[in-house]
Amino acid sequence: MMKKEYLLTFILFAVVAIMVACSNEAAENEGTDENTSDGENQAEQVLKIANDQEPAGLDPHKTPAHSSVRIYSQVYSGLVQLDEKMNLEGDLAESWEQPDDQSYVFKLREGVTFHNDREMTAEDVKYSFERILDEETASHIASYFANVESIEVLGDYEIQFNLTAPDATFLSNLTNASAVVVAQEVVEENGGDLQQVAVGTGPFKFQEWVPDNQVVLVKNENYYEEGLPKLDEVIYFTMKDEAARMSAIRTGEVDLTSLTAKSASLLENEENLDIKNYQSLEYSYVGFNVNSELLSDVKVRQALSLATNREAVADIVWNGDAVVSGPVAPSMGDWAIDVTAHELYANDIEKAKQLLEEAGYPDGFEITITTASTYPDMVNTAQVLQQQWAEIGVDAEISQIEWGAYIDTWSNTSADVLIGRNGSGTDPDRALQYFFHTDGSANVWGFSDEEFDQLTETGETTLEQADRKEIYTEAQEVLLNLSPNLFLVSPMSYVAASKSVEGFTPYPHNGEDILEVTKQ
Amino acid sequence: MLIPVLFGVSIVIFIALRVIPGDVAATILGTDATPETLAQLRKNFGLDLPIYEQYLQWIGGVLTGDFGESMRTGKEVLPDILDRFAITFELTILAAIISWIIAIPMGILAGIKRNSKTDFSVRVISLLGVSVPNFALATVLILVLSLSFSYSPPVGYVGFWEDPIRNLQILFLPALVMGTSMAGAVMRMTRSSILEILRQDFIRTIRAKGAKEKIVIFDHALKNAMIPILTIIGLQVGVLLGGTVIIEQIFSLPGLGQLVLTGINQRDFTVVQGAVLFIAFVFVLINLLVDLLYSYLDPRITYK
Repeated sequence: MMKKEYLLTFILFAVVAIMVACSNEAAENEGTDENTSDGENQAEQVLKIANDQEPAGLDPHKTPAHSSVRIYSQVYSGLVQLDEKMNLEGDLAESWEQPDDQSYVFKLREGVTFHNDREMTAEDVKYSFERILDEETASHIASYFANVESIEVLGDYEIQFNLTAPDATFLSNLTNASAVVVAQEVVEENGGDLQQVAVGTGPFKFQEWVPDNQVVLVKNENYYEEGLPKLDEVIYFTMKDEAARMSAIRTGEVDLTSLTAKSASLLENEENLDIKNYQSLEYSYVGFNVNSELLSDVKVRQALSLATNREAVADIVWNGDAVVSGPVAPSMGDWAIDVTAHELYANDIEKAKQLLEEAGYPDGFEITITTASTYPDMVNTAQVLQQQWAEIGVDAEISQIEWGAYIDTWSNTSADVLIGRNGSGTDPDRALQYFFHTDGSANVWGFSDEEFDQLTETGETTLEQADRKEIYTEAQEVLLNLSPNLFLVSPMSYVAASKSVEGFTPYPHNGEDILEVTKQ
Repeated sequence: MLIPVLFGVSIVIFIALRVIPGDVAATILGTDATPETLAQLRKNFGLDLPIYEQYLQWIGGVLTGDFGESMRTGKEVLPDILDRFAITFELTILAAIISWIIAIPMGILAGIKRNSKTDFSVRVISLLGVSVPNFALATVLILVLSLSFSYSPPVGYVGFWEDPIRNLQILFLPALVMGTSMAGAVMRMTRSSILEILRQDFIRTIRAKGAKEKIVIFDHALKNAMIPILTIIGLQVGVLLGGTVIIEQIFSLPGLGQLVLTGINQRDFTVVQGAVLFIAFVFVLINLLVDLLYSYLDPRITYK
């Protein structure tokens, strides 16, 4: 009798627990139904995107983090942009011309309004670029526009940029997602800071940001391109756990999410999903502190390049979905040289051993490879290299550090060998001069080569495309031969989209183009 | 005791953040950093001042209730901490309730039926609960529910007062995961506590008086067994409050744990300092409450 009662009590608890669980699932289904039939309009177009990182602020002039860019680039517009084929096209600027080599005049679209309904004029463009260049702002893109001498407003819809010297990269720098036009009054109302608000001229209006939870954008009814955007609302959810993102996209809780190669292959056979991929603008690299005793010897660096099997890196680290890359990623099209034929990419172990011997290390040496634990691909790359380099007697130890410490190590060159990933930007000047010129801001390696410096300086001021291509081809050759970094592979990026999402095509410099997306 | 502990914590966290490599300016700018912009950004954040001056500025603000603003988002730190604490707190309470629902009946059952098959199963389950890390359980649960039942918890957190049903749906899985790992310890404590009480003289007396077994267990044994159980529950709630970081991350909950984690990754000093100080405060407070609870439950314990 007593036995039964306790058993009953326990069963009762268990039943209650299961009921709670089930009612949750039932209520959940109702919940989704409700959502779709919410509001007056049956066909409310809401796109839900799962992001792997929390935005680090919304100020376009102060925040380079990708998690922020993907959001504010929907809210703001710049003067010019790139189309799918990476050709320049007007955005806020209708047309532009060059009165001389050192100045650009932009004609602005008329009738474009900010999300606070005020008209955008040339004064706003001037204000925005002066804000970028203002030291106080400490803008990450100030260096892109360092040679802007003055900005003149020629009329409400006409503005002139005067440069200190001819600059072939000026227009492509203007396509940077951070080189956008902001409204002066909004900056002033918020104490000079736009991290919490966003009022732009772009296709979507910023509605709210609930930290570590979601960012909501709504359609800009007055967007200057008729009929666009097609979506009424975009919600970005912050979901840092990849398993949770996979689960949410499988079950339709979200419509779009980026994925790693490994997860993408797991979702390949899902009926309700489209897995889209595109060649990214990024490449992975091994950075050398060229001032260290060991790595200052170019033969050692070349030997390591020869000992590296880049195809194997692509296969093991990226499931085969990566292409061998030089300092300019292959997705930059014509600018990139074909590196596969380069002699230092030949994975020739004998030659590598011979070079080491010439450098005075016949038995190899010990070294530490530093990598960021935050990114599994960087850790995997380090492991693959550790094995490959062992073949020429290099005994490598791997040191994994956390992201903040990694950035610190990178900027102070406190590691001799550092695994990393670079974005090539949209112009070879960024990929080459910025990272490897003696005075390049991101040249943390201590690399300095006169020939390379001269080539990139000429490249920057040469306006003729064909001449530039020749110059940058040569510069890439020089860089490969001297190997201050070993350029490895450029991976594919993956996006999983629900089948109900139409009109979505990601491409290298815009992985989240949702302007013409609709939902069934 | 409370004040010196908090002061100590504030100094330790302040210095620790400045000793670890990397600062907010470098993490913001990444590869876009130039020496000039770095220096300017550090100046904007007041990081160019001597460390004691930075500390005095910060602690001065804290004493007047101003925890400063986030270096990344410019948001006020204290309101953000309180908002997020509410979420972590709710999650903790739900997890605790789930763990009681699972643990106490099973613990009692195992205690009464010592060395039976039931007892054995409960002991195995509780051992599993204690030893399986909750992040592993969480990931497995998400994958199994998604692959086998096409279920995933709703995305996008909403507060309890906004939409209670949706709120509970969102929190159910994480609370279940945390609850089950907490249940293991509570189950073991309940079982041994019941066993001990049942052996005592007064239980024999009550039984001898012919009381029904139900009354013996629920009115007498359980009441006395609750003292150690409550203690362990209290302590666990304290640990849970600070230990939800991983669960919050996996289930995308905007709680206090996520705030601290994002803050550390982005080197957002003001946020981390504020949040750590707040957590320390809550811990000290819970310890105090547990101490007070002792004397309430057992009048023989007094504090001078």
